[in-house]
Amino acid sequence: MQRSTRLKRELQMLTTEPPPGISCWQSDDQIDDLRAQIVGGGNTPFEGGLFSLEVNVPERYPFEPPKIRFLTPIYHPNIDNAGRICLDALKLPPKGAWRPSLNISTVLTSIQLLMAEPNPDDPLMADISSEFKYNKKVYLEKARSWTEKHAVQRNYGQVKSGEKAPEVLSKDSSRKREPLKEQPQESKRVCL
Amino acid sequence: MMDSQIMTENPLLLPLNKDKTVYDGFITVQERDFRIRISLPPGHQLKQAKLHCCWQLKRLLSGYQPILKQRLHHAPDLVSFILELKTVLELAMRSRPDCQTIPPPQYYSQLITEMQSLGWDKLLFIDSEFRTLKLQGEDSAGRKHILTVKLKPNYPDEAPECVADLPFPFLMSWTPQSTLAHIHGRFLLHLEGLAEFWSALDEIDEQTWVLEPEKPSRADAMRRIAIGNNVSIKVEIDPRHPKMLPDCCLLGAEHVVTPLRTKLNANMHLWNPDCSILQNMRDVLEIEFPSPSTHEKSSLSAECGICYAYRLESAIPDQVCNDPRCGQPFHQVCLYEWLRGLPTSRQSFNVLFGECPYCSKPITVKMAVQKA
Repeated sequence: MQRSTRLKRELQMLTTEPPPGISCWQSDDQIDDLRAQIVGGGNTPFEGGLFSLEVNVPERYPFEPPKIRFLTPIYHPNIDNAGRICLDALKLPPKGAWRPSLNISTVLTSIQLLMAEPNPDDPLMADISSEFKYNKKVYLEKARSWTEKHAVQRNYGQVKSGEKAPEVLSKDSSRKREPLKEQPQESKRVCL
Repeated sequence: MMDSQIMTENPLLLPLNKDKTVYDGFITVQERDFRIRISLPPGHQLKQAKLHCCWQLKRLLSGYQPILKQRLHHAPDLVSFILELKTVLELAMRSRPDCQTIPPPQYYSQLITEMQSLGWDKLLFIDSEFRTLKLQGEDSAGRKHILTVKLKPNYPDEAPECVADLPFPFLMSWTPQSTLAHIHGRFLLHLEGLAEFWSALDEIDEQTWVLEPEKPSRADAMRRIAIGNNVSIKVEIDPRHPKMLPDCCLLGAEHVVTPLRTKLNANMHLWNPDCSILQNMRDVLEIEFPSPSTHEKSSLSAECGICYAYRLESAIPDQVCNDPRCGQPFHQVCLYEWLRGLPTSRQSFNVLFGECPYCSKPITVKMAVQKA
């Protein structure tokens, strides 16, 4: 009952005053299925990248947090291979910190912050986390190369002569995760 | 013996043959006769009896066939079945008042005479059966009002039903000599008596932001008036004494409401019955009400912090965080729904104690009333 009025209002706010570097919209007229984009922040290994996310709004929203997942692969201690994000605002108390005073816009802003400031003490990807902690140079290089490989939007205008444009287009579809409900391996998950 | 009983209870129903397998005639229910023919098989078993009804009876009994069938199966003899049939019929007639007879011609001629003497300009509407009339009346301030009159078939012997948008039911003493003109005159008297009450409400509606009712009718004596952000006053004006101090209830966060309540109590003696309610409220509360000419309604009707809407069904956000720095409003249903799912919330009787979802300061909410 509360979900529809609230979502309508939130989408309106996201359209008229979106947070900096973030956009969010309804996909295919389905009220509970949103898409979002976060621009990789400056001075981070994600600079120059555009990261797509899937925002699923549960029936009991805003009493339950939105389910948010990265569609664009990202090399980050708190984001796993399936794009799932370890962030307390995305979980209900007592484990998490979701409350109805938060909304899709503020949660996306928190994710943007998490990208810039990983939290290695609550990792989802143990190996990336230890790399971030003890071998930051390697982490930054890998994260940057992942960004370059998966998140950089290549436009026709930037395509150098000799390179084939259609190939770039087909790459575009392959660098995204399909918005599936498949269950990835649980082995590396540490985050609670 | 059974025959004589049938005869005494249904004198119009007669056996048509010597075997007494066919009965024809009338049964009488509520002074109305219905033609019926009952055919029994040679063994007189009631289960296989056949009923032939006149069309009026058929119409009345439509929908009651399963009940009748069941009664037919269980009745020990014809006498008790006919008794059952009459009971069912009585029930059917009561639930179908439209089956009453149409009024006699005098009804219509009288109606036209009465309308002529009242003036056709007063008639706004009449239905195709000439039973429901809508009459128009105007009070001294030029406000238009509508009186709906439902005439009974035996009008004017029976008083018509009158309904109007008034704060109390429209009542008048009725004699068979009364006419539509009497009703209309009485209606105008009612309107005149209420003119001052409606003027007071019109002044409030024009010069303040009324949060409730959303679209007040002439019968509504209650107004919830915005005072400031999330602060409002609910007044219940007495239609008979519209200039007296009304019942007041201040709504909002404690820290804002308390000083207002203190002023209300301290200045109550200043209430001047010669001034309008609005002017008196301004003087007693020592405030100016935000008006449509100075404020946008959106700045006053703050949305619920949980569902982001002002109206949820018909409810408005009436729970406010008492922390002066927060003051976030919520719908009671929304706040309850959130707090009840939290392991940190505590319940005592029907009150939940938890934290404001915005500022984490203590907040309480009464249990949501379950709607049927």
